[in-house]
Amino acid sequence: MNKPLPDPVPATTKDAQVRWEAEYAAQIGADPPVHNRSGIPIKPLYTPLDVDATRFDADVGYPGQPPYTRGIYATMHRGRTWTQRQLIGLGTPAAYNARLRDILGQGASAVSLIPCNSVFRGYDMDEVDAELLGTCGVVANSAGHMATCLEGVDLATTSCAMNDPSPFTLLAFMLATAKRRGVDWRAITGTSNQSDCISHYVANHMFFRLALPGARRILVDHIRWCNAHVPRWNPLSVVGQHMQQAGATPAEALGFTLASAVQYADDCVAAGMSPDDFLPRFTFFFDISISFFEEIAKFRAGRRIWQKLVRERYAARDPRSWRFKFHAQTSGVDLTRQQPLNNIARVTAQAIAGIFGGLQSLHTDAYDEALSCPTQFGARIAVATQNILREEAHLTDVIDPLGGSYYVESLTDAMEERVLAVLADVEREGGMYKAVESGFVQRRIGESARRFQERIDGGEQTVVGVNAYRVDEAPDARPSLPKPDEAEMRAHLASFAAWKASRSSDTVARALSDLARSAQGDGGNVFGAVVAAAEAGCTHGEICGTLRREVGFGHPLIVV
Amino acid sequence: MTPDRVERIRAGDRATVARAISEIEHGRPSADALSAALAPHAGAAHVVGITGAPGAGKSTLIDALVREHARRGKRVAVVAIDPSSPISGGAVLGDRIRMAESGAADAVFIRSLASRGHPGGLAKPARRIVDLLDAAGFDVVVVETVGAGQSDVDVAALADTSVVVCPPGLGDGVQAIKAGILEIGDLLVVSKSDQPDAERTARDLQEMLHLRAKRDGWKVRVIATSATGGTGIAALADALAEHAAAEGTGKRLRLGPPLAADPLTATLQRFSAADPYQRHNGLVLVDAGPKHATMRMTAARHHMNFNGGCHGGALFTLADSAFGLASNAHGVVAAGIDTHMTFQRAVREGDVLTARAVEVSRNAKLAFYRVDVTRGEGESVASFTGTVHITTRPHATR
Amino acid sequence: MSPPPKVLITKIGLDGHDRGSRIVAAHLRDSGMEVVYTPPWQEIPTVVKLALEEDVDVIGISSLATDHLIVPKLMRALREAGLGDVAVIVGGIVPDDDEKALLDAGVARVFHPGAALDEISAFVREATARVRAARFPA
Repeated sequence: MNKPLPDPVPATTKDAQVRWEAEYAAQIGADPPVHNRSGIPIKPLYTPLDVDATRFDADVGYPGQPPYTRGIYATMHRGRTWTQRQLIGLGTPAAYNARLRDILGQGASAVSLIPCNSVFRGYDMDEVDAELLGTCGVVANSAGHMATCLEGVDLATTSCAMNDPSPFTLLAFMLATAKRRGVDWRAITGTSNQSDCISHYVANHMFFRLALPGARRILVDHIRWCNAHVPRWNPLSVVGQHMQQAGATPAEALGFTLASAVQYADDCVAAGMSPDDFLPRFTFFFDISISFFEEIAKFRAGRRIWQKLVRERYAARDPRSWRFKFHAQTSGVDLTRQQPLNNIARVTAQAIAGIFGGLQSLHTDAYDEALSCPTQFGARIAVATQNILREEAHLTDVIDPLGGSYYVESLTDAMEERVLAVLADVEREGGMYKAVESGFVQRRIGESARRFQERIDGGEQTVVGVNAYRVDEAPDARPSLPKPDEAEMRAHLASFAAWKASRSSDTVARALSDLARSAQGDGGNVFGAVVAAAEAGCTHGEICGTLRREVGFGHPLIVV
Repeated sequence: MTPDRVERIRAGDRATVARAISEIEHGRPSADALSAALAPHAGAAHVVGITGAPGAGKSTLIDALVREHARRGKRVAVVAIDPSSPISGGAVLGDRIRMAESGAADAVFIRSLASRGHPGGLAKPARRIVDLLDAAGFDVVVVETVGAGQSDVDVAALADTSVVVCPPGLGDGVQAIKAGILEIGDLLVVSKSDQPDAERTARDLQEMLHLRAKRDGWKVRVIATSATGGTGIAALADALAEHAAAEGTGKRLRLGPPLAADPLTATLQRFSAADPYQRHNGLVLVDAGPKHATMRMTAARHHMNFNGGCHGGALFTLADSAFGLASNAHGVVAAGIDTHMTFQRAVREGDVLTARAVEVSRNAKLAFYRVDVTRGEGESVASFTGTVHITTRPHATR
Repeated sequence: MSPPPKVLITKIGLDGHDRGSRIVAAHLRDSGMEVVYTPPWQEIPTVVKLALEEDVDVIGISSLATDHLIVPKLMRALREAGLGDVAVIVGGIVPDDDEKALLDAGVARVFHPGAALDEISAFVREATARVRAARFPA
């Protein structure tokens, strides 16, 4: 941890240091070693001795230029605040639209749509138990539904993120809607959120619809098609959140995520694309845990590692390719069911860490996220939290305010070391695809998850209200959950059935068979065929079903 | 145990079969009676043993194979054996996970079993469970284990056909494979054959087969399969059927009854199985206790002497074997040092002979046994006495 | 000696978060139990078939989102298949209102986030003893 210093001597005298060490030892009493979640030992004090001042230019530098440690843009949040992108989804498209307009009115600046679990699983609403519909996301199965969801939203000026894995039907529905409204696809901005199929295979199995080789191929098609037709759209969002929520340490989450990004970049290069064509549209999505300083150091290390990696490995020349752009979400895993209002404090701490970490876009969890899908009341507080941090605490006034802190710089270096070690491990396994098919990554994450659970069970890691500071709560301290309106959902099902019956079955059949042929490898772009199918009135379930038949049903490898 | 339970099992009633398997696992007395009642009905099922290192793709392969058999109208049972943790004794029985498709199909019955401390991995009740599933009318009973040396041998004894699954790119695994698998496998499968190094692995295995000791009859072959690609599965199913036709089913039944539930009898059965001369003469252990052991032998053609009666040496072998097992039931090696035998009646070819050895006395250094050899219902044909010297050496075979 | 408790850990419904169920499965294994573990999204008929063939003592359902709403359907299916004696526990996010409905439907116990792993394994052991006493009377 202590970097060797060049002579002559730094800005602290040996006497003061010796004196502090003696007083500290005398007064501290029991002083068990402290480690952060990534296993890095944490000292009680950091001084200039912990950083190498001569490496400022090489390792720290200025925002908007290599090594980007302090930020990917010259102005960062002072010039343009982070995007307030709250994930919402509930019930029917109409209910979603109402909630969306409320949030946008409250200060959120962009859309992030989360669909129902049934949609994640690749099914239409009439293929699953009705009780399970719309409880955690919006039930959107067609272009028409998407149009309702986005009623009153100007697609030419509002950035939209679709939380939808391969084959990205929700984006297809959105593009169909845009075309009908006369919006040029070239104006559309946003992200195929969480399009990273490797992370779904490993951790967020929810999203894993298609067998990995097929998902891999369709992702490359998706990137290529979006580059050509929706050039301001980010087709790739490489996800660290799922793995961290599954138990990976922050260093592991960052390391595995970068390793996945490398695989995708390699695939694009193998498909004949030039790095500077696709790298500027690579984005990342991370979890922000409540391990405050560790998260800040993680993001700073991420920026530094990524720019070096893309320049060395891909000879990327466009500075836009070097930028580590990421959206982050406060971690739901740190929230508790006990005394849920405490979660507001937790989310605030996590959000500050993310902001100091230099994110581009932030989702803050509602305090009742641990109970199930958040209420409108909770969602509003989550947005207000961001507003307060920006406009009352003025967290946007200074770029990378913790830069130069002896602790944060030292920790950034230590995190970088850990992350590079993870990257090397994955390289040894033959790359991320091999590492996840063999279960290497899953086992590693499982071990970290277990170790963390042991620390909680053993009381080493306090969780307020759960293993310490417990309070007897009255049952009504925990509100019961909003469920989608049953009558509305029944009506939604009925209108869906009616609309399906009214479609031209020939048009639908033709579009689906074109889609199947492109999946079989007739030379066409699979995502292009998905968009065509969406425009032809095919449903989400029909599109997913067709592709599952062609490329295989996704079964993630689960290691206990 | 009611006769109609036997009927329900023979009809393949899932719930009854599942509960009966549990009774075997729990060592319930009702299980012994059930096994005995079902024994005559076992022998028709084709028992296929599938082993291979973890990660070889066994479960995925079995999934595809089971579906192929279902397509051919066959009912399949799978016994999936996972290793128990040597530390906690617990286990995660996860093989079923990878049989995602077929686990739901009506034509398949899958039961997971933990190896429960049996060294090498084959669970103790496995043999009795296989016999039960056989009697329940399943056409094919697949036993899946993690290959680990000893368990390969165990499965080979249990199965009619042994299949060893190797993933592509064995590398250093080649040596390990040479050591054990070649002697065991009737079919070698290279899984995940859609991967680039699969062809080379198949060639390597083919070459190793040439090094194997020549065996009459079945010629071992290498089959490349890709469960995800759907190739080679039909070929494997065909090869299995061919092997069953060539070598028959129910091989395990010809080797003797399953291992008893109680540890002493099981130990003596293991000794007997590890005794080439007892095997050679077709001796079977039928009962054992701390002070006695009973063995059975049918006087066969090759036991006869030039006068057309049973050779004294054969009767001696029977009596001496019972004596040997009884005296070695105490955990240390006991070596015979003095024996005496008298022959009372002539024994003919086909007589079923029983030798019951009983401990007369035992001290720290010596023990004395009397063995009565009877025929049929209990007619005495020979008497034997023997003395053993008791050593302090533990047994090599355990 | 009778074998250790045999527990099925599974998820029905649509949710795919399995960190909790994996941690519980690993803990039960480390406590000496035999755990049949499945991925998420199991259909109810599959769970019934599995419970039947494996003759489990206890079924543990991990539920987030609103998957617990179809647990009563599972309880009915188990009873119809003659598996009404199997103890069923539910772990995960279950609102207090719905907890009562689950217990009424025959669920033996609901564990909420923050429940200690040892508490879960102790309950599984007790439940196993009860189930076996009924199945295999001495």
